[in-house]
Amino acid sequence: LPASLGRGCLGRWLLATRGWALLGAGAGSCSCLRWRHQPPLLLRAARQSIGTQAGGLKAAKPGGNSKDVSVQRALNEETLVTAAQKVKEAGRDFTYFIVVLVGIGVTGGLFYVIFKELFSSSSPNKIYGDALEKCRSHPEIIGVFGDSIKGYGEATRRGRRQHVSHIEYVKDGLKHMRLKFYIEGTESGKQGTVHVEVKENLETGRFEVRYIFVDVETYPRRTIVIEDNR
Amino acid sequence: MEEYAREPCPWRIVDDCGGAFTMGAIGGGIFQAIKGFRNSPVGVSHRLRGSLTAIKTRAPQLGGSFAVWGGLFSMIDCSMVRMRGKEDPWNSITSGALTGAILAARNGPVAMVGSAAMGGILLALIEGAGILLTRFASTQFPNGKEPAEDVSQ
Repeated sequence: LPASLGRGCLGRWLLATRGWALLGAGAGSCSCLRWRHQPPLLLRAARQSIGTQAGGLKAAKPGGNSKDVSVQRALNEETLVTAAQKVKEAGRDFTYFIVVLVGIGVTGGLFYVIFKELFSSSSPNKIYGDALEKCRSHPEIIGVFGDSIKGYGEATRRGRRQHVSHIEYVKDGLKHMRLKFYIEGTESGKQGTVHVEVKENLETGRFEVRYIFVDVETYPRRTIVIEDNR
Repeated sequence: MEEYAREPCPWRIVDDCGGAFTMGAIGGGIFQAIKGFRNSPVGVSHRLRGSLTAIKTRAPQLGGSFAVWGGLFSMIDCSMVRMRGKEDPWNSITSGALTGAILAARNGPVAMVGSAAMGGILLALIEGAGILLTRFASTQFPNGKEPAEDVSQ
């Protein structure tokens, strides 16, 4: 018995050196060390596996074709869903589509509002910005309030004062807008209220200033007129 | 409103930071309660304990990250107001973008740009919604023509 086992081990080594990658040199050496304790069934199994490997390699091409055909058949079978399932899927897709449309619509609306507010020349914010610039460069204002002036609008509950109070009305077929915001000198601490009125110019389509004046909160109250085109 | 007789700005930072933390903690608490409840073994006591553990672990984390976002946003906003000297929606949008960029600073410049874009767009949407709300609220009291010429000079 030990002699046959020894021959089996040598045979195994010979097979390994022929380069059968699947047997693996390392696995071969490990299992060879255990030959003394294991039945010679393993040698038979190894021969069988080599046999099937050779058979598998030869049969690769026609086997591959059959595998492709079977995959295609499986795909065709999946498209035979029932009509009820198709209706359910279509309904679900439609609901999602509606939800996506509503979301895009709301987002687009918000973007439109913010663009109009920031970039259009007829938005109250733009007029407020232009009027503030004019106030900042007016010598009388600088004389009263100091060099650095800050402007703000109405206070909301959170303390952010971005909203500028404005009223739009139509007079003689032209659009007018009246604004009111507050300015304050950062060093002098003096406060004032700026009233602006703009009128729509039909030729250029933009708003032009009718008047800008500032009420200074001193005692006695002073009013500084920056522009008067009435 | 005389509550705002003082300057809102430096105190607004603390206000926003605390508000954001509360939002994150409460929202995270609810979410983690449900998640912990579902990911626990069967049995009400197990599930309740699992959900309580999840709340105790995760909700402060979410609140903390919300608070960091809110505090940083408010700080940048107040700094911009101070620099520019006027209060604008532009301040909020730029603050949102800068907050997004700073919070993604660990992931390199490209991630910073993407995060800044997201933050700016989010703040633009929020500002748009705020403007819409104030416009709708103010048009509920329709006014005819204002008396013209209050100052005759």
